[in-house]
Amino acid sequence: MGKVVFDVQYQTTLAFLISYYFYFTGLSAGSFMISTLSYGFGLEKFKPASKMGVVTAVLLLFLAPQFLLMQVCWPVKSLWHNFVHLNPISAISYGSFLLVLYPLNSIIYGIFMFKENKKWTKIFGLIGIPLALAVHGYTGWILAFGVARDYWNTGLMPIVFLFSAMVSGISMMILMIMIRDRFFTKEKVINHDLIDSLAKILGWLLLVDLFLVFCDYSVLLYSKLEAQEVAHFMLFGKMSFWFVIVENLIGKVIPMAIVMIPGMRKSYFWLILAALMNMAGILVMRVVTVYGGQALPLM
Amino acid sequence: MSNPHKNEKNGDKNLPRWGMLIDLDRCVGCHTCEIACKFENDVPLGIWRSWVKEIEKGKQPNVVRSFRPTLCNHCDNPICVKVCPVHASWQREDGMVMIDPHLCVGCKYCMASCPYEVRYIHPQKGIIDKCDFCSTRVDAGLQPSCVEACPASARIFGNLNDPKSELAKLVATKPVSTLKPEMGTGPRVYYVSLDNATMEIKREAKLIWEK
Repeated sequence: MGKVVFDVQYQTTLAFLISYYFYFTGLSAGSFMISTLSYGFGLEKFKPASKMGVVTAVLLLFLAPQFLLMQVCWPVKSLWHNFVHLNPISAISYGSFLLVLYPLNSIIYGIFMFKENKKWTKIFGLIGIPLALAVHGYTGWILAFGVARDYWNTGLMPIVFLFSAMVSGISMMILMIMIRDRFFTKEKVINHDLIDSLAKILGWLLLVDLFLVFCDYSVLLYSKLEAQEVAHFMLFGKMSFWFVIVENLIGKVIPMAIVMIPGMRKSYFWLILAALMNMAGILVMRVVTVYGGQALPLM
Repeated sequence: MSNPHKNEKNGDKNLPRWGMLIDLDRCVGCHTCEIACKFENDVPLGIWRSWVKEIEKGKQPNVVRSFRPTLCNHCDNPICVKVCPVHASWQREDGMVMIDPHLCVGCKYCMASCPYEVRYIHPQKGIIDKCDFCSTRVDAGLQPSCVEACPASARIFGNLNDPKSELAKLVATKPVSTLKPEMGTGPRVYYVSLDNATMEIKREAKLIWEK
């Protein structure tokens, strides 16, 4: 209605670094889930992926918080202030504990797994599942508790984050298992059954993920003005290339089609392509959610 | 696990509740409050603790400029205090929402959560900063610098708990409004004759990767 003559440009607070943090935590949680399928739930088929899953989960969990620390203005101060001056109703506060407990548990779980101690591996694997869910779910809560932003402030956010974590984690595991089997084993033969089962799980999880996105957007478009505007910004505005094309078409729909069609799933070329597209799409999803969710000025 | 500000609360019922009223029928849009605030609080270039959003609306000959002076609302139920992981954002018993520079780690979560977007990162200190109702001046018995500088006396600062104060009387008798009451924050900066056009929600934004 009016033309703005003077207004203070607002600073975008959370952008790429925090998106990378969410992405790598998601990859870690996803690969941890894969590793618990055999030792925690007794699905022997997935046993060849377990050790790789836990090592990847731990390594990524050392990488991910580096981005968090880079994004915080006082990284060293934050390392101890988050524990000493804890605010129990802040989502970031839970995170500082989860980011300590989850890697510790994963390391213990991994040690027992490498020692082939099935009983303790199962126990720590089962303890690790709620921790892995929490460590990635809480990143969704961080955004959901940012109540000023309608794009973030939804109960779906932790669940969307969990599903995107699992799909990107599985895609990464598929690629890593292929590389390991092809180049770092004596037989140099890819374990086809394992890859095929993971790809099937990936397909169904992608379907759920797309359904959640549909739920989220249908509500946003029906909701109050701010929510409508941000949905418009994502679907038809400047963010639409990244959200519609890269995140959802390239990152979710095409990989889902590839892994759902048996003929294409059996072809390693298409499977590698699907996994790579999905990993890239989820990375873009993090940036779209974190940055896009707060790109519109509020007043 | 500790809240370092716990001991500063003594539960005194006679404490003031500071608030502000901005009468936009009086505001002339001279931006003096902005400058006074910058001087008083040594706010670096490019950022503002308090500013006046100015819009132009209508068609010739029926045009008007509307203003919306913006500052921290010192909410009754501040989201920034709830989300701060280290109790750096905290609220005094007289209602002022403060930032403890020794505790703040600069995680920027409060910036993203504030519905009024009044917080900024101090470029030299690397911590979050915002309007604090000139707490040092108020504690010394003075008015906040924006209130004192306003040439049109559009800003009235005072104690909402004291029914005899000018502010409490005006809030009680004038048709006042607050920014985004639906957020449930309970802002304590009141406006008279606030134009909705100054609060328009935008559909597009300049993205950070755009030149």
